[in-house]
Amino acid sequence: MLETAALDFRFKTAADIAATVGAGRASALSVAEATFARIRACDPLLNSFTAVTEQRALSRARALDDARARGERALPLAGVPFAAKNLFDIAGMPTLAGSKINRDAPPASRDATLIERLEAAGAMLVGALNMGEYAYDFTGENLHDGPSRNPHDLSRMSGGSSSGSAAAVAGGLVPLSLGSDTNGSIRVPSSLCGLFGLKPTYGRLSRAGTFPFAASFDHVGPLARSSRDVALAYDAMQGYDPDDPVCADRAAEPVTPLLDLGADGLRIAVAGGYFNCHSAEAVYAIDRVAAALGANRDIDIPQAERARAAAYIITASEGASLHLDRLRTRARDFDPAVRDRLIAGAMMPASLVAKAQKFRRWYRSEVLKLFAEVDAILAPAAPCTAPLLGQKTFVLGDAELPVRANLGLYTQPISFIGLPVVAVPVPLTPLPIGVQVIAAPWREDIALRIAHALETRGVAAARRPKEF
Amino acid sequence: MTGKSKAGKSVTRGAKAARRTGAPARPLRAKKPDAMETLLAASAQALALPIDPAWRAGVKLNLQLIFRYAALVEEFALPDETEPAPVFRA
Repeated sequence: MLETAALDFRFKTAADIAATVGAGRASALSVAEATFARIRACDPLLNSFTAVTEQRALSRARALDDARARGERALPLAGVPFAAKNLFDIAGMPTLAGSKINRDAPPASRDATLIERLEAAGAMLVGALNMGEYAYDFTGENLHDGPSRNPHDLSRMSGGSSSGSAAAVAGGLVPLSLGSDTNGSIRVPSSLCGLFGLKPTYGRLSRAGTFPFAASFDHVGPLARSSRDVALAYDAMQGYDPDDPVCADRAAEPVTPLLDLGADGLRIAVAGGYFNCHSAEAVYAIDRVAAALGANRDIDIPQAERARAAAYIITASEGASLHLDRLRTRARDFDPAVRDRLIAGAMMPASLVAKAQKFRRWYRSEVLKLFAEVDAILAPAAPCTAPLLGQKTFVLGDAELPVRANLGLYTQPISFIGLPVVAVPVPLTPLPIGVQVIAAPWREDIALRIAHALETRGVAAARRPKEF
Repeated sequence: MTGKSKAGKSVTRGAKAARRTGAPARPLRAKKPDAMETLLAASAQALALPIDPAWRAGVKLNLQLIFRYAALVEEFALPDETEPAPVFRA
């Protein structure tokens, strides 16, 4: 008989839960039941879930417990509940991608590859998560489903577009979630909600079974409250997938065993120039992280402002092309803020997009040269802490900028060329803010080692929100 | 604005008014068409995109932003031989 009644899984890490379930100190079923009780109690405040998959998860939990009873080996994510941004296919449900329009889509016939891979490692899918419409968003405000709320202050934005993915994890509803990041949609909500989030190298994790946005920038990845959980999830999800033409035919390179190598000996610099943020919180966070890592040199990422502009152009064009037919037939069913951006993107002359793509190649080659001098670069993950829900602008230095388009000011120039990044949370009072740890392509191990070193030293932490 | 004179020649409304008041005729400067408005109207028609008049201001604002960013990219000179980022392989 398992003594599970006294176990409290709130704010336990995925690693702790897997160890507890794997050792037989709790059943997967008890974890699943506790998770749904928690979702029922807390999600009315956070609005992070758009669907729960209770029957499916309970069946999965029973199967895991049966496998353990038969003496099968423990899986690395045994009994770990997780949820996925609702642009991931879940068999039997339409894939909303934050939209009203996709509610009319037929149900998905199978799960997205990453959901399959996490479940193969022992995890249990417990639901689908709120997001900004069609992922064209940094705020987390969704016209159709309502905004996800920031667990650190319910009057504030969670960030987006992986809004529910951040709110659910930061609020302790699940230890792990899946998000997508085209221009910053994992890193911005990780920053605003105070989480670890990984945007891997472009092509590293399969996007098969996810609803796209801007195909040449679309990435998928995990969000969690610890660097180890991010690494465990990442390791479970790596590997070639013929169903995603972009997914690299590259062997898995597990990073979890490397975490304890730490950051000693790594050459780390702080991004200067364009990334010199004028917000006190971002400056403090960068300085604190840099000091802890002994990163005492600045490095210039050349033409980063132009890179952000080019990313904006290509995103607008690829996004518009994806939605062109829906703009013709169902324009009134879009969130107006998304619709107007997409229509403008559809009207952009192709010559401008081709110019941006040429610039992208030049920029990539220049930035890659920097990695001959350094192993990692630090930059702010967001220009400010979480804005208030409904807030339209924020002040940065002397400029007043629109929130929706500018929360990704510092993330866009990085995803533009597909570099791996871990957003690490710096727990300020009253609100957290994130720092990007940027590495060379395929060097997620370096970014995660640095994140783990910062966490071990107490500089980075996903602090539990007071209300939860 | 233009109208037709009795003789069939085009005259401007300003010229008509000047004739009435005896003031010297001053050629009206043709109103420069707004490039974004023109692009918006032509693209909407060519792409068969229905645009509610209430959306025009929002779309125009976004077009202006795109062109501002495009100018930033365009002013950075690159050799003709520069390959675009996506590479097609047969």
